[in-house]
Amino acid sequence: MLIRLAGGHVVDPANGRDGVGDIWIRDSRIIEAPHGETPDEVFDVSGKIVMAGAIDIHSHIAGGNVNTARLLLPENHRAHVARPAETPLSTAGWSTFETGCRYAAMGFTTVIEPAVPTHTALHSHLELADIPIVDKGILTVVGEDDFLLNLLREGGNRTAIADYLASALAQTKGLGIKSINPGGSVAFADNARTYDLDDTVPFYGVTSRQITEALQQGVMDIGIAHPLHLHTNNLGIGGNVDTALRTLQAANGKPLHLAHLQFYAYGKEGKRGFSSAAAQLAAAVNTTPNVTIDVGSVMFRQTVTISCDVIRQFASVGTAKPRKSVIFDGEVNGAGVVPYLYKAESFYNAIQWAAGLELFLLITNPAQVFFTTDHPNGAPYTTYPDLFALIMSRDLRNKWLADIPKEAAELTTLASIAREYTFSEIATMTRVAPAKLLGLKDRGHLTPGALADVAVYDDDPADRARAFRHAHLVFKDGDLVVRDGQITHYRTGRALTARPAYDSNIDRRLSRYYDEVYGLSRDLFKVPEHAIGVDHAFEEVACQG
Amino acid sequence: MTAYVDGTAVPLEAAAAEAARLLDGARLPLVAGLQTDVAGARAAILLAEKLHGAYDHAASDALLRDVGVLRQAGRMVTTANDVRIRADLVLLVGPRLTVLWPELAERLALAAPPRLSPDKAARKIFWLGGEPAAAAAIGATHIGVGADQLPLAVAGLRAAVAGRKSRLGGALAKSLAELAENLKAAHFGAAVWSAESLDELTIEALSGLVLDLNQKTRFTNLAFGPAQNGVGVLQTSGWMTGFPIRTGFGRGYPEHDIWRFDANRLVDTGEADAALWISAYGAATPNWRRKVPFIALAAPGTTFSYPPKVQIEVGAPGQDHDAIEWARDVASFTATSATTASEAPRVDAVIGLISEHLKGN
Repeated sequence: MLIRLAGGHVVDPANGRDGVGDIWIRDSRIIEAPHGETPDEVFDVSGKIVMAGAIDIHSHIAGGNVNTARLLLPENHRAHVARPAETPLSTAGWSTFETGCRYAAMGFTTVIEPAVPTHTALHSHLELADIPIVDKGILTVVGEDDFLLNLLREGGNRTAIADYLASALAQTKGLGIKSINPGGSVAFADNARTYDLDDTVPFYGVTSRQITEALQQGVMDIGIAHPLHLHTNNLGIGGNVDTALRTLQAANGKPLHLAHLQFYAYGKEGKRGFSSAAAQLAAAVNTTPNVTIDVGSVMFRQTVTISCDVIRQFASVGTAKPRKSVIFDGEVNGAGVVPYLYKAESFYNAIQWAAGLELFLLITNPAQVFFTTDHPNGAPYTTYPDLFALIMSRDLRNKWLADIPKEAAELTTLASIAREYTFSEIATMTRVAPAKLLGLKDRGHLTPGALADVAVYDDDPADRARAFRHAHLVFKDGDLVVRDGQITHYRTGRALTARPAYDSNIDRRLSRYYDEVYGLSRDLFKVPEHAIGVDHAFEEVACQG
Repeated sequence: MTAYVDGTAVPLEAAAAEAARLLDGARLPLVAGLQTDVAGARAAILLAEKLHGAYDHAASDALLRDVGVLRQAGRMVTTANDVRIRADLVLLVGPRLTVLWPELAERLALAAPPRLSPDKAARKIFWLGGEPAAAAAIGATHIGVGADQLPLAVAGLRAAVAGRKSRLGGALAKSLAELAENLKAAHFGAAVWSAESLDELTIEALSGLVLDLNQKTRFTNLAFGPAQNGVGVLQTSGWMTGFPIRTGFGRGYPEHDIWRFDANRLVDTGEADAALWISAYGAATPNWRRKVPFIALAAPGTTFSYPPKVQIEVGAPGQDHDAIEWARDVASFTATSATTASEAPRVDAVIGLISEHLKGN
């Protein structure tokens, strides 16, 4: 199949392209314009924006905690959007099928589920397999498990920790390593209610900082592309910018990804002791090039927070709306599912909303800041189109600013920021940089040889959100899956995995440990290659070497 | 021969074609039983959608009692492994727990101190509303309460923990007051129960009790569900449609209603005019009273109170074929390998065959 996308405005910053031109697709790949061949299909995309498919690096879309949220909140997901009648479960409100359809319709072709505990990875992969069209990947959560904490207590043998991490990736079919308030789940089990960077984990005598450093080094040692993905301490608390700044320092000049930074961008100014410190934080990020961040923007609407930061989630139970939460302990990781309603008229929520936008606009390098709402924690991913529109238009921001409490607006710098993202910066932030961060060499750009994941949008300055919500065309692996914002058909996506080599001695040690401690085979916690029941369920991503 | 139409052995293909004919001709086809693995549940739910039918599970009463309270009140929960390595106090609540889960005491290693206990002291084990002999067998202090008194007893316990008075008196009140002190002194306690042997009121009182205890110390619930992948089917339904079992597609999109889509009610009122009964794990049969024409995908040798129109013998997940199932042991899905692999057809394969024969395919 030879396809020509003719005369579009090609925005491909990886190749320095930002102008009118053609894109050619043969089967699943982008190719050079061929000589003397007639395309099987030509799409006239003149006046449209042509980009690579977008990549979401942090969106809680699958697994036990997400499913608990579904079961907890039947009232939140009545089926509401009709999908093509021919596709299975096309009308289900908050289902895996809906997730694939809506992401694809926005031009996203790869989505990463960022919080999979080592003991429930099969559940996550089963759900991911039922998310059609897009490719997926998981980040494996470590840092609370007794085995690892014992390694650290015994002095943190660097080789053993690296082997442990590589083995955890193999066991869970993960793409990267995540840690969440490192040590916090263990501290909560020991009845701690707050937990900071330099607090010691009960029993084990190591601090959150030490766990972070060991994991950061371990991830570098196994040679996977994605640096340690860290959800640091003290999320959501007034004055926690101090924690974020200390975490940036704690990275020690080494690669680190700091997740949903908006939730750490709070100062203590004003009479309520809650203000945006995003400007200060953005300035620090600008001078810490070894660290990447994603924003975790807040948008005003009903949502549910889903997080393995159990200490934080337990503290939020009192502000749940509706007033019901699930708090999960668990042997390798806690978690909490707490519904929440973000309101424009809430002083605190308005600060949060503004702080997210400030981070987008004040971090100067679009390859250092990633586009997320920490779905669904700051807002569902379905609000992405509105968020794109906001960062692309100061006028639109000013309209929204008029609707939030004046005293909140005054405790942020948002009104003073003139910057408007260009399509090229959007493409860097949502295509080029995520592909690089995750080590996905053939994605995020339109270089000949790249995977033909392509999104075509209307260029409509009057309604950017509509254009981003309903892409004009989307190709996945060269297959047209969206036309005029509508899904044409399903296809099966793949789960991207990293499989660094390691000394299998750690597997024997772990097997003995599981036999002794749990009286169960460690094999029970593995995701077998054949478990998903479809061919090519997994795709291996090369390591850095 | 493993497939029958009107009691006569036929090739599988012919049985599938007859099954499709029955389902195609129905106004509201029902998929019920649903005792199958994840692949079987996926196929069954997709079939129900295609038919604009409804689906329910044989263990729905217990599963939905649990979910019903969860989505009203929320909950604190954990896994058996967490209780095993961490809990210094275990409070079992309700009857028949070691019948419902015979390996319970072994799985929780109740006889040994928790691995992560700082002082290696023996666990404190209490059983409220259990059987005296069963409690003795696992080394639990038995606190006798009749099933009808259990909601009151748990509410009384919650009051005692909160330092409030309750109407309970006598020996029970004294035992509960002592128990309350023990619960408050626990470092990391766990209430162990199953919705199979508790009613909603007790579950809700327990959820509240555990939340209250967390004001001062740590406490959580270990709630285990029915065996044979009932929880797995509920979870599968959750991600596929957003809803648990007892969901229907009559209006072209999934709607969940525990009354409307109760399989027995749908059959007994005549709303469902054809059914697909699935019981792959063993000889389980439907409880409906009206003789709706039905197709049975059932374990070999299952006999029904009235004959199914089509009967297809299927293999048992994890026995005849590899399967993904919910495992109580790990409180998540696990991949199980066939113990005695056979050629017996899988539920998902048979449903696939039936789907191929449906009109419009």
